[in-house]
Amino acid sequence: MPMYQVKPISEGDIKIDLPTCMYKLPNIHAQHGSSCAEYALQNGEVDPALKALEARQDEIMRKLYELKAAVDGLAKTVTTPDADMDVTTLSQTTKVSALTGSTYLDAVLGKDSGALRDIVINANPASPPLSLLVLHRLLDQSYRVLSSVHVHSSVSSVSPQLLSCLGPRHPDNYTRQSFQLGFTLIWKDVPKVQMKFHTQSMCPIEGEANVARFLFRLLGAEPKDPIAATQLDSWVDTAFFQLAEGGSKERAAVLRSLNSALGSSIWLLGHEPSLADIACACCILQNGQSSSTPANVQRWLQACRNLEHFHCISPLLQ
Amino acid sequence: MDLQECLQKNESSRRTDRSLVRVCDLTPDTAGQTVWVRARIHTSRAKDEEVRTDRRRGADGQTKRCGRTDEEVRTDRRRGADGTDDEEVRTDRRRGKQCFLVLRQQQFNVQALVAVGERASKQMVKFAANIVDVEAVVQKVEQKIESCTQQDVELHIQRLFVVSQAEPRLPLQLDDAVRPDTDGEEEGRATVNQDTRLDNRVIDLRTTTSQAIFRLQSGVCQLFRDTLTKKGFVEIQTPKIISAASEGGANVFTVSYFKTSAYLAQSPQLYKQMCICADFDKVFCVGPVFRAEDSNTHRHLTEFVGLDIEMAFNYHYHEVIESITDTMVQIFKGLRDNFQTEIQTVCKQYPSEPFKFLEPTLRLEFKEAVALLRSAGVEMGDEEDLSTPNEKLLGRLVKEKYDTDFYVLDKYPLAVRPFYTMPDPHDPKYSNSYDMFMRGEEILSGAQRVHDAQLLTERALHHGIEKIKAYIDSFRYGAPPHAGGGIGLERVTMLYLGLHNVRQTSMFPRDPKRLTP
Repeated sequence: MPMYQVKPISEGDIKIDLPTCMYKLPNIHAQHGSSCAEYALQNGEVDPALKALEARQDEIMRKLYELKAAVDGLAKTVTTPDADMDVTTLSQTTKVSALTGSTYLDAVLGKDSGALRDIVINANPASPPLSLLVLHRLLDQSYRVLSSVHVHSSVSSVSPQLLSCLGPRHPDNYTRQSFQLGFTLIWKDVPKVQMKFHTQSMCPIEGEANVARFLFRLLGAEPKDPIAATQLDSWVDTAFFQLAEGGSKERAAVLRSLNSALGSSIWLLGHEPSLADIACACCILQNGQSSSTPANVQRWLQACRNLEHFHCISPLLQ
Repeated sequence: MDLQECLQKNESSRRTDRSLVRVCDLTPDTAGQTVWVRARIHTSRAKDEEVRTDRRRGADGQTKRCGRTDEEVRTDRRRGADGTDDEEVRTDRRRGKQCFLVLRQQQFNVQALVAVGERASKQMVKFAANIVDVEAVVQKVEQKIESCTQQDVELHIQRLFVVSQAEPRLPLQLDDAVRPDTDGEEEGRATVNQDTRLDNRVIDLRTTTSQAIFRLQSGVCQLFRDTLTKKGFVEIQTPKIISAASEGGANVFTVSYFKTSAYLAQSPQLYKQMCICADFDKVFCVGPVFRAEDSNTHRHLTEFVGLDIEMAFNYHYHEVIESITDTMVQIFKGLRDNFQTEIQTVCKQYPSEPFKFLEPTLRLEFKEAVALLRSAGVEMGDEEDLSTPNEKLLGRLVKEKYDTDFYVLDKYPLAVRPFYTMPDPHDPKYSNSYDMFMRGEEILSGAQRVHDAQLLTERALHHGIEKIKAYIDSFRYGAPPHAGGGIGLERVTMLYLGLHNVRQTSMFPRDPKRLTP
């Protein structure tokens, strides 16, 4: 409208007794809110074209708001995936020095949603994942763990040692809800060790090394120092790539470097046994080369085997 | 060549001591021998001179042996069905008068060759389904006969007797009946629909697939009996005509019983429990079970075979779960190890993934199942029973994580179980009851039973069940704590083989719409 606007000079709702013999027209001065009805035509009807335009604009705005909400929702899920939990959530919780209940479990596995948080590990009976059995024993010492061993139908028979490798049955095993963590080992015809947890939101973890890292994280005992953490990672890789799968030359080289590293300290990293020790020791023990190792390694292997949580694998080594 | 027709009925008027060789025993080792075989003509196709020449050449190893393609066979069969076979046989006579037969004995078949002479009537060899006795020489073949189970030999027929003649037109063709559904769709070939099969069940049962299914089913029964007998169970027989409905008033068939009425047993439930009260300790029974459910689904029958177990336990009803699941695992293992041929045969027509299971069986609790389903986006109440789609979904979720087609779900809400279910001592909303699932479908429902007469009376009143005085009375005189469950034989067979309809695994199925055959 090319005209300027003036305030109404009289209020729109003056009560007048109108004669009934006349026909009625809408009040052209009355304010009808902000809609296009303001520009009502003489006969009181709104221009249908304007109405349509307004409806279209409202529709577009509505769609935009919807889109914005959807994008916000997506952004929330994208910025907090499992991977990020490792660096943010977990590094914060590791500062809590004392183990409080199932803090680490909650941090890594997510809150208990009424169901038992059950970790399923598929392993081939031809090569039992010794390091995971040791880690299981450690978890068992820290938490209430419901352990169970199953044989998958793809495997015809399994030796009794493998069936009892997670120790005797828990006396309370009839109430699954009373446990903090489930540890289900399935002997199955799989090429690689496989771990499944939340099948919908998390892909299976493959390879003994990676599963071992995951389980170790549940203990909340990883080194806080980034250098030590990197060294630990490196030892784990060395163990599973070079000791377990490498050729004889490669193995000999690793044994030499182990020997020199163990010359200055009892354990591979600092004063406490860690995942690095578990991984390297298990890989050497599995290959059955423990007798032909250098002196420091020999001594260290014996120290490892004397640890309580290593006892569970000795029946499997005979 | 001497071909004779013997249309006399076998009335056992005389007895010969000729020994018959089984088709499955026709191996290259028997080559050169003259044998007698009794079998059914599976297919027959005439051959003209031209083809014969080809075959001779093939025998010299110069050209590939020219068997007729499936396409030709099909055309023949279609022609036969159109009623123009007379003309075709005349043509055959004018030509070489040679005929290829496939002789079938149960799930085994062998190719046979016959020259149609003046004395050999066309009906003798023409129509499939005639039962014949043949005297024939076993011959090795150069090239494997892919379409037969006996691939290395064929029979050169010297004499042929018809033992029993079939009507010229069969209501359905065996080859159509074993064709995988997908093939039929792709190539425009005939398949046989379920109702035609069931209407002509006797012929449908002759197919290799049906033969395999029912052999496997017999294996399930056998393994069930063997395993339980080994565990010290006693097989019992229970009445099927009963005075009161055991599982609540609904779904029960009423029959007239002289001046009053009676019911058909919905389960041997009450009777097997009474046997426990009678100190049998561990019992099982195999017998028909009747459900008047008007549901026409793929998995409901109105009469089916129930395999029921009931056992007294020492301290915890999980002893019973372990016993039942171990029995199931032994059945699965027995099938896996001894019925591979049958499983493969069924798989040819109805492809499915092999059945996977864990030993010992996985046990989950109902609360966990609810949490799993909720995390998958299902909205359901804590005490709500699982709906069929939710059961399926749960089956998929469990399979994804544990890779097992068989598992137990424990601790169901009390509200969704029958009156004789023992409540959970720790949580009155739940109960000591369990379901077992195969490929995401329920196959067994069981529970620890109330063995205290007082509590039982209360629970029965709560559910409004009457006329079970005899049942409750049997608990007045001391009953050991016990639990049990029952599985449906047809369902187990169906789910083990990954079939999609329980009617395929019931020999003469009964459903709301079918009372015959």
